[in-house]
This record gives sequence, structure tokens and C-alpha cells, in this order.
Amino acid sequence: MFEVAVKMLMHDRTKYLGLFTGIGFTAFLVTFAMAYFAGFMTRGFSLVSENPSATVWVMDPAVHSTEATINMSDASLGLVRSVKGVSYAVPLYLGDATARFPNGHFQSFQMIGVDDAILSGAPKTGNALSAALLHMPDSVIVDGGGSSGKLQTPIHTKDMWPYDGAHLGVPTRKLQYGDTLIINDKRVVVRGVSSTIPRFPPRPLMYTTQSNFKRLNPGENRYITFIMVKGGKNISASRLAQNITRQTGLKAITSDAFKKETVKWFLINSEDVGDMINMVILAMLVGFGVTGVMLYMFTYENLRQYAVLKAMGASKSQLVNMVFTQAFIGVIVGSGIGIGVCALLGESVASADFPFRMMWFAPVLGFLGVLIVSITAAVISVRPVLSMEPGIVFSQR
Amino acid sequence: MKNFLHLHFIFIDYDLSMATNHRRNIALHCTNIVKIFNSGEAEVKALQGVNLDVYEGELLMLVGPSGCGKTTFVSVVTALLGFDSGTCITLDHNLATMSDEAKTAFRGKEIGFVFQAFNLIPALSAAENVALPLTIFGTNKTMAFSHSKEMLKAVGLEQKEHFLPGKLSGGQQQRVAIARALVHQPKLVICDEPTSSLDHKSGQVVMELLKKLTKEHAVTMIVVTHDSRVYQYADRIAEMEDGKIIRVGKTDEKIL
Ligand SMILES: Nc1ncnc2c1ncn2[C@@H]1O[C@H](COP(=O)(O)OP(=O)(O)OP(=O)(O)O)[C@@H](O)[C@H]1O
Ligand SMILES: [Mg+2]
Repeated sequence: MFEVAVKMLMHDRTKYLGLFTGIGFTAFLVTFAMAYFAGFMTRGFSLVSENPSATVWVMDPAVHSTEATINMSDASLGLVRSVKGVSYAVPLYLGDATARFPNGHFQSFQMIGVDDAILSGAPKTGNALSAALLHMPDSVIVDGGGSSGKLQTPIHTKDMWPYDGAHLGVPTRKLQYGDTLIINDKRVVVRGVSSTIPRFPPRPLMYTTQSNFKRLNPGENRYITFIMVKGGKNISASRLAQNITRQTGLKAITSDAFKKETVKWFLINSEDVGDMINMVILAMLVGFGVTGVMLYMFTYENLRQYAVLKAMGASKSQLVNMVFTQAFIGVIVGSGIGIGVCALLGESVASADFPFRMMWFAPVLGFLGVLIVSITAAVISVRPVLSMEPGIVFSQR
Repeated sequence: MKNFLHLHFIFIDYDLSMATNHRRNIALHCTNIVKIFNSGEAEVKALQGVNLDVYEGELLMLVGPSGCGKTTFVSVVTALLGFDSGTCITLDHNLATMSDEAKTAFRGKEIGFVFQAFNLIPALSAAENVALPLTIFGTNKTMAFSHSKEMLKAVGLEQKEHFLPGKLSGGQQQRVAIARALVHQPKLVICDEPTSSLDHKSGQVVMELLKKLTKEHAVTMIVVTHDSRVYQYADRIAEMEDGKIIRVGKTDEKIL
């Protein structure tokens, strides 16, 4: 009967192609949405990812993400360094800076202040210049941070620092080595343009040394946002984090835990993420609806054939098996197509700097989604098959 | 309509027909079968006390005006449809006491069907369609197909075994359906208007085939028909009206 079910499914090309495409589309949609979502969330904790050597992150106990932060006192660094098992601990400053471009245009940046001595946390610059350039006075490294077109400075000298007001809308090019910007009435020089991991939400970044950071943001009492810690060989990251918390009263968690917390923070606090999830859910529901209805229609249209089989002695379980066989084939082929297309397409969009990350749960959820919908549709459509009067076989077509 | 019937065969008294059949075995024994359809508020008494015996190995035709209950009757005797009262013993099975599962299994094993609308599975080839009753029963594939081919040969379609129903003419489809109805060697074959969808010539071919196979396979066959041109193939004819068998007669071609 398996063969009969398969042949019935594969008989009408328009119908089965429609069914496979429908299921494939839904699987694609779910998988893509999940991968897209994973991509975004991954960008949410880019700050943690770009500092892989830090296994423990220390912060104010009220902080739950890289996104909403409050600073700790300068004394905290010493406290952390005194904890046994800490091999090194470097502070990271985070702040917002509004930079004026030579033509008068301005742009806000996230400013990241890295340790003066070892420059831990500074990015590699694209043009083979090292972060050591930050040691030159007033130096910064700028980064698009996933945004586009926000690092544009005027081409012509006549548009630079003009006396007759801002020259907006003039021809521009991307910032490069040697360009100057003004922050809080102080001049900074761009010593490099990096492209580190894009952020979510996207924002231009400005890396500088901590001494420079303080000079550009004077008058604050506290500067240390995070302390990045690496432990000695004999202690696990989670153990070390516990020790730091106990001894200092600060919050210390492993980098993996911090990534998870950040994702959770986005899920709860970010309106953008909420909107995105709603969109995805809506799209999935539409896909699920289409898949379910198609499968139901398919069985319903074959009702008379099932009646014939029933009249000829096919048992209920044989008929149920046939309906489910058809649904399962639809799921396997459809989700194969959908997830396959998603993986291929994802490859190409991911390389085009699109937030796309095919984590294990994306295809799994894509498959499970269509599986559940198809089983539901099969359960619903099997009911008329079981309850119909086989006597309908006597009616004319 | 009734006068029209009289021209083609004469009715002999029910008891007399019993007598002339000596002591033949009974395939189907029905007494006082009542079937009522409750479609919403309206109540349709489709069968109003049907009494009929059908003998093993005979070809009985069931005739009567449209809506008199012929299809309902054959559905009841093959356990496709339940009934409200009376007794129906089909091939020694008392249908009233059987479970749904038992009825399904009974149909699959003992009964063959030929429908007006052919009802072949469009996705399956002629040979696969014919093999269906065996496939449902769980017969292994090689065996099922060798029987299927034999039957296709018996209905003269051995050349068409790979054809899908859509590629066959109506007459050919009905012959495939006949092969399917007989492939599992059932004891009773029900044909509901087997020739109504066919032209005269194909209808004659189909009836001749049915008659021939009834005798060869020693099956009991009930043929529901409107088609007076095929009455000649009947051993006996039962006439139905308003949910009752009103007469059972024997054809006599010499009378014509
Ligand atoms: N499922 C059903 N529900 C309600 N009424 C039904 C149903 N099936 C048949 N009937 C009614 O029962 C009566 C007998 O119908 P049946 O189909 O047995 O007649 P028939 O003799 O086969 O007619 P025809 O020659 O047109 O095929 C009709 O009045 C019909 O409307
Ligand atoms: Mg009828």
C-alpha cells in the first residue's frame, strides 16, 4: 500500500509540485527566519566575540548586556586583579561620542577605550596598519560597525572647516588614514579604518586608548564599563567568575554566559527584536496555513479513491498509513528543498555582509515546523477518509 | 416502463422459481430488510422490507425505476451500508452481528465490485489496479501481479497492462474493473450499472464477459441495470419498486 500511496501522490504533477513547493517554502521561511534571527543576535554580542581571549567579563551587578551599561569605579580593576587565579585583567571603556566632520556634518559613534599599554580590545585595521598606531597622539580607529555610509568625509578642501557654515550634501569619500574629526572641541585623527564584527543595532564605532578616551570625555567619575579577565591554566572560567563575584561583589560571568545574557536582554528589551519576531511569526503562520490547506485539499480530492479502497476491503489503518505516508513524503522532500535553498542562499547573503547564521536550531526548527503542520493537516484530513460512507463509490462521478 | 420490461421477459411466480431451482445453495438470503435515510428532517425509506434469495453461481439482475433502492440494496448486502431491521445473510455471514473491521475484511476477501463510474485509481496502471484487492490483502507482489496478468488476459487486455486508466477507453476501463473484481476469487460480485456509461457495443462486450466469467469462476453475480438490452444475459431478474422486490422472474428468450 506504501507504493500505492506514493503513486497517488506522484500522479498529478501540478498538485505534487504545488505541495512540495508549499512545504518547501514554509521550511525555507522558518529556517531563514531563524538563521536571520541568529545572525542578528550574534551581532548583538559582537563586543564579546571580538575579544575571544577574555574568558570572564566583570561588570556592575546591574548590567545584563553589552548594550545597556553603567560604569564601575576605578578601584574595581585593582580588586579584580587581586583575585587568585586571574592571569590578566584589562578594563574596557564604553561611551557615546558625537563627532563633527570637516564639512560640519555630525555623527554619533560608540567610543571604545582600550588599555593604553597592551591595546587589548582594539581591532585590526584593514590596511595592514597595526593598532599600535593608537599610540600616536589623539588617534582613533573608526569602524562602520554594520552601518553603511556613515563614515563619509568631504573630498574637496574647500568643503573642509569652512567659515561660511556647514557644507552638507557635498561630494564625499570614506574616512581614511590622516583624516581629522572634532569631538567635544578636541581634534582626533583617524589612524585606521577597521571592519570588525558588525553590530546589532548597527552603529559606527570609534576605538581609542583609555587616556585619549578620558581626554575626549572629561568630567566623568567612572570610566570602566567592563573588565576583561583571562584566568590561569588551573582554573575554569566559571570557577574564576564565581571567585571574582564572591571577593569583589562585582558581577563576573563567563563570556559564553554573557553572550546568552545579552541575547536574552535583547529578546526582553529590544522593541526592534520584538517587531522582528512578530513579522517572522506572521510569515510562518501564513506558510503553515498554506501548507496545511494544501495537504488537506490533496487528501480531500482523493476521497473517492480512498472510498474505493475501503469498499475493496482496505482497513482503517491502511488508509491512515496512506495519508500519513503522503504527508511524510511531502515533509521530507519539501523541507529538503526549503532548507537546501536556504543554506545555498544563506551562503551568498552571509558573504554579502547580511546577518545570517545557520545555527543547528534553524534547520531543525524549519523541519519540525513543517512536520508538525503536516501531521496536523494529515490528522484533520484523515477524518473524512475514515468517516466517509464507502457507499459513495456507487455514485456517478 | 413496466410494460417495456414485459416485452423482454416474463415473470414467473416467486415460489415457482424456487421450485424450478431445486435445492441450490443460497449465496444471499434477505428477509424484510428496512433501510431508512435520515437526511436532516426528511426521512427516506429507501428499503421497505426487501425479501430476496440469490443462489450460488447465478447471474441475477436487479431492475427497477430510478430511486427505487437498488443501489441501497446492494450496498446493504455487501456491508457497505448498515440497515435498520430485517435479516441479511451474505455468504453465510449474518451482517447485523458483524463489527466494522470484520465487515471490511469480509468485503476484501469475499466480494468484488464493478461500478458504473469504473472507479479505477488513476495513478495506477491497469495491472496495478487489477492487483489492488490482493495488494490490500497483503499478497506478495510477484504473486499479485501474476494473478493480475492472468485476469487481464481473461478480459482481453493483456496488451494494456502498463496503461494508466486515463489512456483506456470506457469499455476497456470497465473490463479492467471486471478483472479487478474477480482477481481475488470472490464468491459474490456486485455490478452497479456496469454498462450505463458505455456505448451499446462495449456494453454487450462487458455483459458477455461478465456472463462468461460468472460461469467460469462459479461466482454469484448481482447486476443492477437500467439497460433492457442486456436482460438476455440474466439467469433471473428481480424487479424492485419503492424499496421492495415486487417480482422475480426468469428470462425466456424464446418468448421474444
Ligand atoms: N445517503 C443517502 N442519504 C439520503 N437518502 C439517500 C441516500 N442514498 C440514497 N438515498 C435515497 O434512497 C432512495 C433509493 O436510492 P438508491 O440510490 O438506492 O436508488 P437506485 O434504485 O439505485 O436509483 P438509480 O437507478 O437512480 O441509481 C432514493 O430516494 C435516494 O434519494
Ligand atoms: Mg443506483
